[in-house]
Amino acid sequence: MRPDDQVAKAIQDKLQFAAGARLRERMLAEVLQAHDESSNTNPALTAPVTRRVAMRSPMTKLAAAAVLVAAVILTISLWDRSIPTAYAIEQTVEALQNARFLHLVRRDEAGQINDERWIEIGADGWQVRYRQENPAPRNFSVIEDGESTAVYRHERQAVILYDRDDQQYQWVGELGKALENLRQEGSILEENATYKGRPAHKVWWPFLSAECYVDPATKLPIAIGTTEMSYEIPPAGTFDIVIPEGYVVLDKRPGAPEQSVPDWLLAEEQAEKQADDAFEQATHALAEGNHAQATELFELVTQKQAARNWAWFWLGSAYYAQGQYELAIEKFTKVLDMFGNDACYYCNYARGLAYARMGADEAAAEDLKLCLPVMVQTLRTPSAASMFEYADDPLVRYGQRRPTEQQVVAKMVNRLRLVTGQNFGYDPTATAEQNEAAIAAWEQWLAVGGQIAFRPEAELVTVPGASESDR
Amino acid sequence: MLEDEILKWQFKCGNRDALAQIYRKYADPMLTLAMGLLNDAHAAEDVVQDVFTAFARSANGFALRGSLKAYLTTAVVNRIRDHWRRRLRRPGALTDDLPIATETRGPDEELIFTEDALRLNEALAQLPSEQREAVLLRVKGKMRFKEIAKLQGISVNTALGRYRYGLQKLRSSLNGEVHK
Repeated sequence: MRPDDQVAKAIQDKLQFAAGARLRERMLAEVLQAHDESSNTNPALTAPVTRRVAMRSPMTKLAAAAVLVAAVILTISLWDRSIPTAYAIEQTVEALQNARFLHLVRRDEAGQINDERWIEIGADGWQVRYRQENPAPRNFSVIEDGESTAVYRHERQAVILYDRDDQQYQWVGELGKALENLRQEGSILEENATYKGRPAHKVWWPFLSAECYVDPATKLPIAIGTTEMSYEIPPAGTFDIVIPEGYVVLDKRPGAPEQSVPDWLLAEEQAEKQADDAFEQATHALAEGNHAQATELFELVTQKQAARNWAWFWLGSAYYAQGQYELAIEKFTKVLDMFGNDACYYCNYARGLAYARMGADEAAAEDLKLCLPVMVQTLRTPSAASMFEYADDPLVRYGQRRPTEQQVVAKMVNRLRLVTGQNFGYDPTATAEQNEAAIAAWEQWLAVGGQIAFRPEAELVTVPGASESDR
Repeated sequence: MLEDEILKWQFKCGNRDALAQIYRKYADPMLTLAMGLLNDAHAAEDVVQDVFTAFARSANGFALRGSLKAYLTTAVVNRIRDHWRRRLRRPGALTDDLPIATETRGPDEELIFTEDALRLNEALAQLPSEQREAVLLRVKGKMRFKEIAKLQGISVNTALGRYRYGLQKLRSSLNGEVHK
């Protein structure tokens, strides 16, 4: 046996790790619990679909076609008024899985592009190369060529080069996860709708907390919120890092020759670090309920990093918690302005509550009503509430805490009760079947034009596994 | 493997016992793979737990044509890549000053391994991650070089090269400790 083969054999035979008995049982119990929760929230399980395998053979194709015709006739004869759905979200997921490039464009109210991005997607669903252009007033560009990241500081006529592992920009990091979420939890809101005059299906994508419009022909999304999407191959050189004439290059990649860093960049980096440190402390302070300290620190962050939307939002939350509703509204409005026409339900909800606390019922109702559909949807699709959870707790936003689906739904029930005055008897300790009537009642209430009625004294459910103050 | 095909079918139909059997069959091989790639017992446990939890939740839309082992192996590798990426992307993540709960765990709540396994794992940890991945996928995951190349986004020759270089370095770092 060759020496290398001996090494391989040693790894094969001797490299073994096993879970201890209790560890194994604990892990298995959690896996089975996930399975049970999933079975409770998903539609009834049916026999496996073998269509994809069967279609490989021409003979079975014919047989399948015959079965399909029979099935369609049967469907029509049984439910003569129901037309089988022509579009399925799975088609969009499959179409997106084949997309290699994404072209994203956002425009201002005058129709001018204010944000344009090109993304090359790798086989694993992660971003491989990237380009972002923000014209004046932001005047900012980034190009990632797969190895390096070039940040263009046009006002300084400078390009800063980083190793890609040290500095990355991204639109949606875990595209694969986003697709899985669309497949499992996405829902068709309206078939054969239109988007800016184009035929489109309207779909709810919980992971992105956004409505998206799907081209009926290609099944690909053409818009998510106000961001338009297309999938063409980018022009040659899109991902090439090019240094414009007259620009200074600051190479911060490992192994680059020593270079003196200009004072403006040193000052910026120092300010950035201070702001990052303050932000981190502020998020902990807010999570621990130390609102005065959180306010002070978030104020500092927003002065130095005015584009940091979460800093503005949590600053608003800290003011809200201290009863300073006007200041809270000011900060929440700042966030909503940053998102322009894109829906930002968690922020509308927060501002609506602040208005309600001030007795500005009309303004409160305007904000809160916007959020009701997604809030009710969460009762069946907990992932639709992810932004609400981030808004409530920065540690959830940064992955330090992970609420269970049961907690997410219970908290959303409490939010609904608070702003609608309705109850419908939801019990977080009951099974999905037992809560079906309550969820259906919320849906029915919304469908018939449910109205906002702020009730600070509303009876709230106990959030499973949470302390009294988390209710 | 017919047994796996039956388990896949039963799992797809919502059979809880099939999921438990899949877990019992593959949890340890996946823990071994994750330990080899991460050299961190707690992180390996988390990764394997995440993979099986996601797998458990996928029953309703589960449509796997290929091997169950290869599917889980790929899921573990992808999850570990996510793990590293998250660490790279969040230099300012809230990790340092959070109080870490100290807990004492009994031996049956930990990973079980031999001294040989630990020594081999530490030698593996010295390899560049691509080579470590190629060696483990080939030897423990029984993957073909074509599959490894696809997973790593490289050519078959490069995958073969990574595997061979990996074994050579391991041999040299183990320095004759490998017995026939």
